[in-house]
Amino acid sequence: MKFKHHILWVSLALASSSCEKFLDVQPKEFISDAATIVDRSSAETAVRGVYSALADGSYYGTSFQSIGYLSGDNIVWTGSQSQVQEFINKKVNADNSTISSAWISIYRTINRANNVIDKVPAVKDAQLTDALRNQYIGEAYFARALAYFDLARTWGGVPLITKPTINPTDNSGIKRSSVAETYAQVLKDLETAEPLLPATTDRYRATRKTVWALRARYHLYQKEWVKAEEYADKVISDATNYKLTKPFSAFFANDARGTTESIFEIFYNGTTEVNSHRGQWQPQTNGGTRQWAPNDALVALLNNPAVGGTRSALVAKDNQNRWYGNLYYRNPASDPSYVLRIAEIILIRAEARAQQDKLTLGLADLNLIRDRAGIAASTAATKNDLLLAIENERRVEFALEPHRWYDIVRTGRAPAVFSLSEANRYVLPIPVQQLLSDKALEQNPGY
Amino acid sequence: MKKILSLWGLLLFTSWLASAQTTPTINATVSGKLIDQKTREALVGASVVIKGTTNGSTSDADGKFTLRTGQKLPFTVVVSYIGYLTKELIVNSDKVVLEIAPDTKQLSEVVVVGYGTLERKDLIGSISKIDPAESKTIQAGSFDAQLQGKVSGVQISSNTGVPGEAVNIRVRGATSINADNDPLYVVDGVFINNNSLQTIGTGGKATSPIADLNPNDIESIEVLKDAEATALYGSRGANGVILITTKRGSFEQKPKISLNASYGQAKATKLWELTTGPEHAQLVNEWWINTGKDTPSLNRTFANRPFRPVTEGGRGLPEEQQTYDRLSELFRTASLSNYDLSLSGGTKSTKYYIGGGLNTQEAIIKPITFQRASFKVNLDQKVNDNVQVGVSNTFTRTYRNQARAGDGPAGGLLQAALHTPTYLSPVNEQGVLVGRAGFDNLTLLLDNYNVNSASLRYIGNLYADVQLLPNLKFRSSWGVDYNNYNESEYWNNLLISGSPNGLATSSISQFTTWLNEQTLTFRQKIGVKHSFGVLVGNTLQSDLLTRTYAEGRGFANNQFTQISSAATTAASQSWSKSNLASFFAKIDYNFGGKYLIDFSARADGSSRFGNNRKWGFFPSAGVAWRIKQEAFLQDVRVLSDLKLRASVGVIGNQNGIGNFASQGLWTGGSGYQSSAGTAPQQLGNADLQWERTRQFNVGLDASFLDQRLNVEFNVYNKYTTNGLLQLALPATSGFSNYWSNAAEITNKGFELGISSVNIRKGDLQWTTSFNIARNINNIEKLPNPLRYGSRDLILQQQGTPLYSFWVYKELGVDPQTGNVIYDDVNKDGQITVADRQIVGSIWPKFFGGLTNNFSYKGFDIGLFFSFQYGNKIYNHNRFFGEGGGARDAARIIFAKNNQRWQKPGDITDVPRPDGINVNNYRDGGSRWLEDGSFVRLRSLNVGYSIPKSVSRKIGADQLRVYASGTNLWLLTKYTGLDPESSASSDQNQQGIDLGTPPQPLGVQIGINVTF
Repeated sequence: MKFKHHILWVSLALASSSCEKFLDVQPKEFISDAATIVDRSSAETAVRGVYSALADGSYYGTSFQSIGYLSGDNIVWTGSQSQVQEFINKKVNADNSTISSAWISIYRTINRANNVIDKVPAVKDAQLTDALRNQYIGEAYFARALAYFDLARTWGGVPLITKPTINPTDNSGIKRSSVAETYAQVLKDLETAEPLLPATTDRYRATRKTVWALRARYHLYQKEWVKAEEYADKVISDATNYKLTKPFSAFFANDARGTTESIFEIFYNGTTEVNSHRGQWQPQTNGGTRQWAPNDALVALLNNPAVGGTRSALVAKDNQNRWYGNLYYRNPASDPSYVLRIAEIILIRAEARAQQDKLTLGLADLNLIRDRAGIAASTAATKNDLLLAIENERRVEFALEPHRWYDIVRTGRAPAVFSLSEANRYVLPIPVQQLLSDKALEQNPGY
Repeated sequence: MKKILSLWGLLLFTSWLASAQTTPTINATVSGKLIDQKTREALVGASVVIKGTTNGSTSDADGKFTLRTGQKLPFTVVVSYIGYLTKELIVNSDKVVLEIAPDTKQLSEVVVVGYGTLERKDLIGSISKIDPAESKTIQAGSFDAQLQGKVSGVQISSNTGVPGEAVNIRVRGATSINADNDPLYVVDGVFINNNSLQTIGTGGKATSPIADLNPNDIESIEVLKDAEATALYGSRGANGVILITTKRGSFEQKPKISLNASYGQAKATKLWELTTGPEHAQLVNEWWINTGKDTPSLNRTFANRPFRPVTEGGRGLPEEQQTYDRLSELFRTASLSNYDLSLSGGTKSTKYYIGGGLNTQEAIIKPITFQRASFKVNLDQKVNDNVQVGVSNTFTRTYRNQARAGDGPAGGLLQAALHTPTYLSPVNEQGVLVGRAGFDNLTLLLDNYNVNSASLRYIGNLYADVQLLPNLKFRSSWGVDYNNYNESEYWNNLLISGSPNGLATSSISQFTTWLNEQTLTFRQKIGVKHSFGVLVGNTLQSDLLTRTYAEGRGFANNQFTQISSAATTAASQSWSKSNLASFFAKIDYNFGGKYLIDFSARADGSSRFGNNRKWGFFPSAGVAWRIKQEAFLQDVRVLSDLKLRASVGVIGNQNGIGNFASQGLWTGGSGYQSSAGTAPQQLGNADLQWERTRQFNVGLDASFLDQRLNVEFNVYNKYTTNGLLQLALPATSGFSNYWSNAAEITNKGFELGISSVNIRKGDLQWTTSFNIARNINNIEKLPNPLRYGSRDLILQQQGTPLYSFWVYKELGVDPQTGNVIYDDVNKDGQITVADRQIVGSIWPKFFGGLTNNFSYKGFDIGLFFSFQYGNKIYNHNRFFGEGGGARDAARIIFAKNNQRWQKPGDITDVPRPDGINVNNYRDGGSRWLEDGSFVRLRSLNVGYSIPKSVSRKIGADQLRVYASGTNLWLLTKYTGLDPESSASSDQNQQGIDLGTPPQPLGVQIGINVTF
């Protein structure tokens, strides 16, 4: 019997050693997070991962963009998802699914950027030249700046996360910073990115010039008119690389991409990198759901030869005589997402100049845009007239892009334009799931 | 693995040495054979003991036994055999043939338990046995769907009327949030896959891999419920175990051919009530004007209302609108047919069962069909007196024409047919068929739907039984479950998904489980009173899922449907594997058939868990006291049996979590500019470990009046710790969640089963069985609440049951304003998300079934009701359909909206039409949350067996003709079509009814013939 016991233990011991091997199964589709950014190649792929996060359907793919235009006064909701209507009504609930997915995907972008910022400096690889290393880190800083900028203008101050998450307890329970602190982080990241990045032209990835363009927008939002003009100027003066395409539709129609109009657009190939934005806009006959569409007011403006001009190309009619937005139309879904284009930088300069009472220069900028759209030059004579003309121009120029809501809120014109005087509504609620899972987060007032 | 096998061999040898020791003094040697009194078949493994001694023998594979004894002839032997009446027989010669008869009574019913069989009277655990013959005629794709209401404590919801789609089965509640809550299915010893391999989106639905089994091949089904019963499946049994034993032949049985053919039809008994075109238009106008009054800046007035005369630029007056009926184009009277043919029999050393089946079922909505062709071969061969080998083989091909019958716009049948406003014509001004409201055109959809899947399934088992000693048996078994699941879609350019030039996809998933198992069973009687057994064993299991996907877009025309003809193509591939190693042991002891006790333990290692947490240890113990055997109850004639049972144990769960759930991972699939990109995919958790469910069970079995009335009562308490879930993380971490063991969940309840023979008089017999159960589920611990389902309708949070509905509670409609009065929970004067609250859950207060069977001479009638009471269901169709006009041309309006509030003083439960999700038509309002209680006449069977004297004339042993009905009657307050509907097969999104075809009323006729 003793012998039997021995056999039993020996057998169990042997069994358990071979079992250990048997129980060690490693994935093939994924790699361990223990060694992720270790050489030039893995640094490069991690940077692409950052862009991929920007391109996500919840960020610049669809959801985040939709917050910007649905909350304006151009779009009508035709579908069933009533959470869409909350933006149009400007009464967004904390359980709205779009704000939830956008919030998650922006912080996902930040975490990816943080991984690059944290790990690439330490990579030892002869192939990773200083120029490349700086470029990768600079691109990550740019992406993080854009992410915090989008968070700040949508929700106000947010938790500032600057280190990658390694363990589940990392980067949780961080209190919200103030709006000013959040914008300060944006500026800091842009200032860090600027010297790291090359002064080349790449319309799909961040360069020093992309940083300038975002800085122009940043200073506009901060009402720092001199700086806004200065940085807009830097971009506009590179006229060989950045100029308005004519006609208006030339930057997006006929499968165009990467035109001189673009300072930064996100690339999609339609197969492995899909921009599903078209599905919301296109009618059924084109394989979409036409979940939302340009409203009657916008259709009238765009089709008015004196207002929309060639920008009428943004809308089209389906086989049931209904209007639909046609900025995102490609099939397979490979439409670029337009983040920064030269028309915006010109209008930023126009506004910055107008605010500094440089009315003639500002008007000239505005008329560049009107001329490209094939409409008569504006004759706005006073500062207020010019600012209003710029505001109206932006409405039609960026009719289907995420500007209208942010523009009207940042200029303090929401009571007049949207009949929205309740200031609490100028920022959106923190998504309820985030409040449930992080006790340190505080909801915006009024939600 | 070889090492383990050879060690097993050594172990066996030593144990043989240990027990082969003594030989009695011989005075007489008797050799005999033991046979069944009726069939004359040899009985294998029966015990023959000389009365008053411990000297005995066990019959061998030919039923033969030898007794060597110090006694002289004649003497009395006690013959006992599982499933047979124990009999004392006098042996008066050295060559005898002993006959015993089967025990047909309940207590002697043979029950399959983990790795063995027992008579019901010797059961310690809680096990339900189901005879599938009773439910086989119920119109459903899979056998599990047929069992609703048949098993106490097992809640089965069909979810949908589409045959062969996943059914929801919960044995004693649900223990986990993100690990599986489905029971473990074991077919002839093979742990089979019950997770759908479907990748095609059909609106949240999934096909059921269990539908690959032909119910006709099943001999018996046992449901193991408590810790004692499931202990040997330790790591897998937390949600119960369903043991399926398929049919086998019998030794020395002449070939028996059995044919079963049936044909039937099915249809929906109720459809949604919709507004007519004019009513729809009227409501939209009213909404328009109301919102104009509420918000003057909208500039919505009577003058510019949408349905104003065409001459004024409108869509025409309401009364000018047409009404188009789409539902009747979609729904049909479905036909179904079933054919089964089997041959079984055996020689002295071989037994066989060969079966084939063909089952075709149409769904009640076009174009969905389900077809299963199955083929079964079971063979057992005696190699010699001590060795038997055998195989079980199931081959199935399940072919489905699928369609999206759930949520989602593109390709959605019920979206096109139900959710499209009735006033909208299916054709545009040019007479061309067009889709409306963002959905496909129904006619185009029905004519061009081309989505199908073919599942090829092989479930096989090869075993060898070696009788090492009369009381020591070794078994080795190898099992395979191979599933090749081949899906293809073609969307031509007339459909939304196929725009502009067609889309074809192909996905091939292969799921393979292989399983190797060794068991060693030792059983010994000591004296007359003591009997004990030991079982040790091990299992190795490996699951591999691989998938290849391809798609093509841009076809020359609709004639080309294969990806090879596409202009652009894309492909992907995936691979995932998990391994499981287990060791288990069980010791049982039976004292005089009066006191029974057993201990089991199982150790499991899973590749899914963190490095130091792979192994889990799961012990359990059970006791039973057959009180009736005590002297003080011997004379209580009315009581045939009384048994008290108790068990406690810990059972594990790891099913359903990601194969690499514990590992921190980066994906390579985050490319940009068509070049590869990498990104964090998942946070690791090296401490991720087994979910553990501790279960207490106390049961009482009582039998009265010579076993004519049997009562079984169980009370249980399950407490799950280390509950596996994807714990929500703040998004600031860059992740949404990570796998953790953070939840604790309880399930407490009782089950009562009563069966009785009400009348047994001559040819007349009436039997009744009834079961009822209650389960109380509660989340004891959950760090962060989790939201699931459309509009976050379901909230999992600490202190409430799983699957609780999280809604804005409506208190009614104010007769003065017509506005909904919402419950302002925090009294801040505003209705915000803070005012959402839990109102009910999907759990019924009780559920069960009632069966009555009558037979008189050749006639038989079976009547079976199932019921549940007190559960809630969210009627999401109404949420969309009762938009009060605000969704205008984007959605249907249900007829219920005709009862809307119109003027002060109106008493109604339908508020004044206003904006969507602003006030009266808020997402997640409680008025669409309904009572899902029901009683249904699940089946009614009427059969007639032709007297043998007649059937013999055509050469048949048995001939029965029958007619049966399924779901003939339904009593419910639910205003939707079917209170069991659920749009999603996701376990966390149950109880939301959207775009789900109901279970139909079905009738069929059939014939069974045996030659």
